Amino acid sequence: MTARKGINLGLDRFSGLYIWALFIVVFGMWTPSLFLTQSTMHSVAAQQAIVAILALALLVPMVCGAFDLSVGATVNLATVVTVVLQTERGWGMWPSIIAAVAVGALVGALNGFIVVGLKVDSFIATLGTATVITAVQTIVTGGLQPLPPATEAWNNLTQHKIAGFQIVVLYLVVLAFLTWWVLDHTPAGRYLYAAGGNAEAARLTGVPVGRWTWMSLIWSGALCGFAGVLYASLSGPSLTFGAALLLPAFAAVFLGSTQITPGRFNVWGTLLAIYVLATGVKGLQLVTGEQWINDMFNGVALIAAVAFAGWRQRARLRRPAMFDGADVAPGSPTDPGPSNTAQELAAPSGASARA
Amino acid sequence: MTALNASPVPSECLGEVVLEVTGLSKSFVGNAVLQSLNLELRRGEVHALLGENGSGKSTFIKILSGFHEPDPGGLVKIAGSDVPFGDAEESERSGFRFVHQDLGLIESMKVVDNLYLNREFSTRFGTLDLKATRQRARDDLARMGLERISPDATVRDLAPADRSGVAITRALRAGSAHPVNVVVFDEPTATLPDADVQLLLQTIRRVASSGVAVLYVTHRLDEVFEIADNVTILRNGRKVASRPVLGLTRRDIVKFLVGDEFEEARAESDAIEEREAGEAILEVAGLGSESHLDVSFGVRSGEIVGVAGIAGSGRESILGCLFGATRRAHGDVLVKGRPVKAGSPGDSLARGVAYLPPDRKARGAVVSLSARENLALGDPMRHWRFPRIRRSKERDDARAWFKEFGVRPPDALESAFGTFSGGNQQLILLAKWLRTDPALLLLDEPTQGVDVGAKARLHHHLVDAAGAGAAVVVASSDADELAALCHRVLIFSGGRIVATLEGADITPRNISIHSLGSATEDTNS
Repeated sequence: MTARKGINLGLDRFSGLYIWALFIVVFGMWTPSLFLTQSTMHSVAAQQAIVAILALALLVPMVCGAFDLSVGATVNLATVVTVVLQTERGWGMWPSIIAAVAVGALVGALNGFIVVGLKVDSFIATLGTATVITAVQTIVTGGLQPLPPATEAWNNLTQHKIAGFQIVVLYLVVLAFLTWWVLDHTPAGRYLYAAGGNAEAARLTGVPVGRWTWMSLIWSGALCGFAGVLYASLSGPSLTFGAALLLPAFAAVFLGSTQITPGRFNVWGTLLAIYVLATGVKGLQLVTGEQWINDMFNGVALIAAVAFAGWRQRARLRRPAMFDGADVAPGSPTDPGPSNTAQELAAPSGASARA
Repeated sequence: MTALNASPVPSECLGEVVLEVTGLSKSFVGNAVLQSLNLELRRGEVHALLGENGSGKSTFIKILSGFHEPDPGGLVKIAGSDVPFGDAEESERSGFRFVHQDLGLIESMKVVDNLYLNREFSTRFGTLDLKATRQRARDDLARMGLERISPDATVRDLAPADRSGVAITRALRAGSAHPVNVVVFDEPTATLPDADVQLLLQTIRRVASSGVAVLYVTHRLDEVFEIADNVTILRNGRKVASRPVLGLTRRDIVKFLVGDEFEEARAESDAIEEREAGEAILEVAGLGSESHLDVSFGVRSGEIVGVAGIAGSGRESILGCLFGATRRAHGDVLVKGRPVKAGSPGDSLARGVAYLPPDRKARGAVVSLSARENLALGDPMRHWRFPRIRRSKERDDARAWFKEFGVRPPDALESAFGTFSGGNQQLILLAKWLRTDPALLLLDEPTQGVDVGAKARLHHHLVDAAGAGAAVVVASSDADELAALCHRVLIFSGGRIVATLEGADITPRNISIHSLGSATEDTNS
């Protein structure tokens, strides 16, 4: 048992770190002048901070067993809301930020209502709301890209530098610790993991699964609202960028579930995955100069991540803690089977099949 | 193609031996589940196979269907030729067909599609084919005497007996490349309402008279007398009787089923015999639900009450209903004098009610979480001191329970729950609930799929918990278990409590007799 664990520590839990190191070494040797620079490091860190915050948003409902495909649309809407309120309605910066977060939370509450109240599969529900949100955004903007506010405070919100890093990276770190604390160290996290792992067992243990699903979606929406504000401050409002962030965020969450604490979605694995993917993409872009690398890399990574996570999970459960043979007697295989695996991925089995 | 394999065999063939089983044994990890079984089935007969849970009859059927390979030395012959083991296709080729309790129909599809799904017939592109298929369905159904079923009806809309009929028709459908010799019915009536049972029995009789042999597995003795020509009874993996039904009484069969020697099982319960009558913990008054009628009983502190009954008697669902996992139509459930809401596990838990559901992987545990986390899930707040759950305390806690309950391996606190063996999983779940110090403990099939050692430990801890003042209700299909554990056993039948056994009357034999509904004939022995 312990010997096996010793081997796993290296290859299993931290394989992402090795791959990351490999990327850095390979691209570092390939184009040292472009890749191995502080500015590359800082720009990757800052650019990916928004995706990472989005992944953190996504992570919590995933832990609870619900997909939130509306994160991309929500973050987009939030950029528009916070900018329009400032430039067209004359709101102050802080009220407009709060409004954007509130709009995000509202979207989450709507998702929660559809998933928990109307009992629509979360995959479908959030796919639907994502589309609706995109429509709402077009109503708000009339299809025109709003102009960002030109105040210094607004730009400093994300671009202020601390030790060379833009402050948005600090926000990410704070949020990551907050999410990690909730998921790993509070009873709330325990309930979320239980609800995502086996909703019926959680229910019979007195966990109000619906309420937690609802809350996880509100969390996700609110965090998207905040990510939207940051994006608007960092890069200016955009009508379309959100959809492009959805996939890398999902890939990171799934890939992250194979890292650090394999078999469950977790904060540090997700962040590790974000930066491993980003480093790979950045390196390839610098080497090839091609823009399509981003999509290609993230798409392949998502599929590979989900396949790998499922494979690891099945292997993990197939390995008995100790086999005393009794369970086999009635002839049922000890393996809980693929439907359980889908649950372990915190994905409702139907949704994961469709995904 | 038109040679319908299930068409009547020439009448001179009826009665010829079609299935010969000799010296069939099966053991799992040195544990003999089936011991040198011999059995003969003849064309045209309905042969009932009886046995309590764990008697080896499901193992036998799984060998026939090619799921299990028997121990070397056994032989299964169909119409004189050996059947290769461990291969479902070979089993079908030899002429075995199986109709399980779970019919395996696709409820949302039409009868005709269910019948020919996956067959050469399914490729129908034009109207002409569709018509032919439908006609084929009509013919096949008619052959089973099921003209009443329309091929275009959706399976979901059919009466339960007709759904079974469709499954039977599918098993015996014409155009199968391999002739049907033996049809095995595995508790086909367990979930059927009484009225439907008769319809199904008619169909089964018709199947037999077409010249195949029918092996009929059931828990319901009435049916044996109604339909079977011969009966074979298994107990603890051995055949204890195989004879014509004619001349047997119900009492004989029950005696074969349960045997005589069970008194050693009561050793455990003697320890709890001298107890004071505690305060009333659970009171159930006039409880009604989908599967229960006017159920009333009470459980006191320190008492272990058993719930017995055959499948479909209401035994399987009563605890979930009390706990509030499922809906109740009417009646009251009071815990310590206060009503427990239906449909709200949280409310029940707040009142000190713990519920161990029967299927631990599907409903009892989060297999992906660690043993420690599962153990703590009943009360994760215990080691929460802002700002975090004290993991080391939680680990100490879990380690102590592991030690107390003898969970193996003792240091695997952080292993995923799913990696433990069945017995250890169940011990962990029992520990999870005892840790919350419940006033009322509801256990559904607590030792299903659990090895003997873990079973004894589970029982021991239940007795301890009752000794410490908990009220315990155990629903089990295992009469030995109930006899070993309980102060009182409630026998369910048709959703009602039909008998209550107390004291010396609680024997596995009595439990079986009452559960099987033969109480009028033989109340005590």
